[in-house]
Amino acid sequence: MAENDEPVKPQPRPIIRIGLFLMSHSLLVSLVCCTAGIIALLLLPVLAKNTYISENALIPGSASPMLSNIDVSEASRFVDKLLSIDSSSVSIDSSSVSIGIEIRRLMAEHISALGAEVNYHKFRSQLNRFHPLQFFASPDPGNIQENFSCSSYAINTVGIIRAPRGDGKEAIVLVTPYNSVKITTGEALSLGIGYSVFSLLTRVTWLAKDIIWLASDSQHGEYAAVAAWLREYHTPSFGGLGKLPSEICHEPSNLSDWKTDAVVETRISDTIRRAGTMAAALVIKVADSSSDFEKDSLSIYAEASNGQMPNLDLVNIVNYLAVHGQGLRVKVEKMQSFLNSWWLRGLGGLFESLGKLARSLNPQWSFGISIADYVEGCATLASSLYNQALGVPTGPHGAFRDYQVDALTMEISRQLSQTYGNRQNEFLMQGGRLVEGIIRSVNNLLEKFHQSFFLYLLTSSNRFVSVGVYMIAFALLVAPLPMVAASLFSDASKLNPVEDQPMAGHVEKPVIKFGSWKWLHAAKTVFIVHFWGALMILVPYFYSHIPKSSAVTSLSIWITLSVISLLLLHLNLGSSGISNSQPQRTEWAYLKSVTIAAAFIGLCLMSVINFATAEIGALLLVPMCLMAVPLRLKVRTLRTSLQIVCYLVLTFLGFPPVAFYVLKGALNGFDNISIGEFWTWMEALWEWSSATYVYICLVHLPCWVLCILTLLHPC
Amino acid sequence: MEKPAEKKKKKPSKSDSGSGSGFEFWKWAIASIIFRLILIYFPKNLNLASRPEISTPLTSLRRLAEGYWLKELSMSPYSGSMYHGSPLLLSILGPLTVKRLEGQPNHLLCSLVSVIADSISAMLIHGIGQRLQGAYCRNLRSLGLWEPFEGALPSGDLAALVYLWNPFTIVTCVGYNTSPIENLFVLLSLYGACTGLAPVAAFGWVVATHLSLYPAVLIIPIILLLAYGLDAPPRKLFLQKLSQKAGSDSSSDGHPESVEAQSTPFSLRPVLIFTFWSLLWATYILVLCGISLKMSGSLWEMFERTYGFILTVKDLSPNIGVLWYFFAEVFEFFRNFFLIVCHANILFMILPLAIRLYHRPCFLAFVYMAISSILKSYPSVGDSALYLALLALFANELAEMQFSFFLFCGYVGVSVLSPVMHNLWIWRGTGNANFYFATAMAYACFQVVLVVESVSSMLNHDRRIRKLSTSTKA
Repeated sequence: MAENDEPVKPQPRPIIRIGLFLMSHSLLVSLVCCTAGIIALLLLPVLAKNTYISENALIPGSASPMLSNIDVSEASRFVDKLLSIDSSSVSIDSSSVSIGIEIRRLMAEHISALGAEVNYHKFRSQLNRFHPLQFFASPDPGNIQENFSCSSYAINTVGIIRAPRGDGKEAIVLVTPYNSVKITTGEALSLGIGYSVFSLLTRVTWLAKDIIWLASDSQHGEYAAVAAWLREYHTPSFGGLGKLPSEICHEPSNLSDWKTDAVVETRISDTIRRAGTMAAALVIKVADSSSDFEKDSLSIYAEASNGQMPNLDLVNIVNYLAVHGQGLRVKVEKMQSFLNSWWLRGLGGLFESLGKLARSLNPQWSFGISIADYVEGCATLASSLYNQALGVPTGPHGAFRDYQVDALTMEISRQLSQTYGNRQNEFLMQGGRLVEGIIRSVNNLLEKFHQSFFLYLLTSSNRFVSVGVYMIAFALLVAPLPMVAASLFSDASKLNPVEDQPMAGHVEKPVIKFGSWKWLHAAKTVFIVHFWGALMILVPYFYSHIPKSSAVTSLSIWITLSVISLLLLHLNLGSSGISNSQPQRTEWAYLKSVTIAAAFIGLCLMSVINFATAEIGALLLVPMCLMAVPLRLKVRTLRTSLQIVCYLVLTFLGFPPVAFYVLKGALNGFDNISIGEFWTWMEALWEWSSATYVYICLVHLPCWVLCILTLLHPC
Repeated sequence: MEKPAEKKKKKPSKSDSGSGSGFEFWKWAIASIIFRLILIYFPKNLNLASRPEISTPLTSLRRLAEGYWLKELSMSPYSGSMYHGSPLLLSILGPLTVKRLEGQPNHLLCSLVSVIADSISAMLIHGIGQRLQGAYCRNLRSLGLWEPFEGALPSGDLAALVYLWNPFTIVTCVGYNTSPIENLFVLLSLYGACTGLAPVAAFGWVVATHLSLYPAVLIIPIILLLAYGLDAPPRKLFLQKLSQKAGSDSSSDGHPESVEAQSTPFSLRPVLIFTFWSLLWATYILVLCGISLKMSGSLWEMFERTYGFILTVKDLSPNIGVLWYFFAEVFEFFRNFFLIVCHANILFMILPLAIRLYHRPCFLAFVYMAISSILKSYPSVGDSALYLALLALFANELAEMQFSFFLFCGYVGVSVLSPVMHNLWIWRGTGNANFYFATAMAYACFQVVLVVESVSSMLNHDRRIRKLSTSTKA
């Protein structure tokens, strides 16, 4: 602090020195990081680990299945009855309502005969309403006071077995969706599987959790039925409010017309019955069309809203029991177009030979996988990423995840080629034993599923990539953002204080320059653009009020609206500060730096909410943001011109619709693409309240606009 | 929500040059109040009152309503570990929590109180800022430097707008809690000290301490303010100047009297008045508390349930501070030891800072508030709102502050990440406590960096003034 050693610049702290070093080599570092990030992403199928059952209590497959031929033949008769209702009552009075009633009656009769509790759950189809921040909200009870029509009612049938060994505090849910208007063979078979297991479970002594069998009426969609039941299950209604809709629309044929004996009728209640909190839920579906494989196969769908997955242990049990117990072939959804892409094959070959090389050097290094495995892994991974990124649940199981219940959909594909009669029993036996095994295993649980992963990507049914691995790819990809922002920022602030020197050699007036606050002007621009993005999120509210129009007109309305609002906002708030004394040369650097910082924060935030969206978004956004340069830059070298060309291409690709069409075209071919498709895609996103929609409006689009602003910057 | 932070900072920066800056200020101030009034109509959708970042066990009005209900049943408001605030707030705000206006949301009255408290606070900041600015110009002039530096901002306007438009303040105001009232009393005591009104300062200090205990450390800045006057460059400079003047040209020109005024020694009288009034107000408050608790509890219970609750960190539910996690992990055996260590942390820093910054008591108050917001047992964003506004009072002095952009990004990033992490942990069940605590730690780190950088740039500013004033003499 002595006055004479002032010119000696203090040595900055080591952490700052590291930062300075990275900043000075930001171009190289960002190039290396981005490449490494993309390579790490492509390496994920190689790095995937085999799944294992983490929770010891589960012990799947330790008990031999108890489902006997008697149960199965009962269930088979049940299926036949269901199918005969369909064919018979259509011929009699051809009213679809009566089929539904007949089916319900049949189910209620059978369930009561087993000694379990039955109740009907009446609900009306609810339109998906947009709720931008549903992510932050707990599931809302939904208000019943909306206008509705009586015809939109559907009725779920619920059967509950009280566990002889349990305290009634926990439950396992079986869901079998069926369409009460027109029941298909597959749906009947899934009801049959449900029935066979249910009938077994009424007799067993080991049950420690209540079993709920929900035969959900999917005439308004499978998801809606399950979601409506869950909503009612979790929000107890006091007073008469819950009954209000059923009183208003009392269909005469509904409750009184049953030709059941009085004993059964007294046991059927119209109010919802509850068991304990749900430990797990299984949705059982039977696909009619069969694949060309010899064995029956089982597809697992696990993605719930916003890329949430059930605990990996649940997937593992299903996979384990299906493969080792029932000899089913387990499939996870794949992107078909990836399977025969030449470049993946080439990469797979490269990785395979690298793996072989490594093994020849040291036999303990065994990370190579075969080309076919690699390509399959990539296809599964891509579909897993895409489904998570969409944020739209892949089946009715998605509704459970909103209540923190682990759930998945098992779709059993059945072989049609063999002779039918005996085959049906065999099929029911197989499916029933699988479900029984899963329930028995989950029944052992002492706590909620918590041991295994919640954040993972599947590369096949028995291989997964955990959060610790896939985050590396993402972190490498976004790491250049803060670095480049910092280096641009420090360069710009170093350029500025040219007139900083005179202060030491005392001139007339010292001026407060607010040197470190120069970024505020750029921050204001960024804020305005992001604010505009936030306004654009709310547009769907207004769309729900105007009559239906075609996708193309909606899209054009949206575009004009957004452009006008952006211009208005810019003129109102942004224009006043432009006449600033600060040099224009550094201004775009500040703008770019703040843009990059905003993109970084947005991507990091999104990676926590929905990793897959963030990863795909980063692939598009990071190169675009990093390359941004003004078109009218004074210094024209080969490098800058190359950069500008790259940048123009990237900006073009970064525009969300273009990115959508290009990706879609690359995957499915360019022939069948219409302009309205993007709009319908976006509409689907906001109807499901997907966080991806919020991300596109709040992060991606504003960053794109800001990159355009940088491009057009007059410097 | 985070973005208005930028707006507020650059709006005034535009208005600095024009003559219509006063108009601009009032326009934006009123706009912010209207914005609040709009927001308090939709709190159901925002659901801010239940967020751990906004309402703590000490400040939550929902708890206050519970305490009021208990009191109405002539039970002790402190029974059941729900309420931990002052009994006076219970008497004043309690009736408002149950009173309903027809057709209006039922928390409207309490929210209106918050809005009023916020606007009064902004006016107090405005007043403090104008006085500080005046003192700043006077000091520079008396040091023989030029009029105010060119391009200086009206820091009072700026700070008031920062307070009003800070998203933290807005969510606190809308979030149905008592932080705006606590902040109001802290600012009242500072205002009283700045204007030399010892009774007002004493009142503000006593009530703020009564409400949330931590403002007790403000006694040092308040006494310094009353005794030495407003913030000024180091006193040594004035003395040097004085001796120069006396040596070179027998005090013929310049402003010797103002120099004299700045170098006044410790004046005891206002301090004594302040002590007297503090004692008076403290007794008064205690008597009032005693009266209001007469039916149902005792003063001792009040101390135990308010100050005791603060000091022993009984409620370990997650918040944006760092202590809850620590005390959830620590073994019961060491708990008392670490309680002492954690609280002593604040006390350890008081004295060194007071010695180093005693010539800038208002800035010292900012530093104390920021440090107590880091180390508080139940911090909320309302505390940040307060110290950020105090920071903006020194916009001119801190013009060359380093890492401003980094800090800004950090605050924005943490304030959007923290709710998401909380959601991931509590609602989705896919995260765990570490996710949320990581953001709490990052928040604490950013606050530390903010304090360190602002103090060092303030000291640099002093050095620069010294250099300029010594160079002018040559």
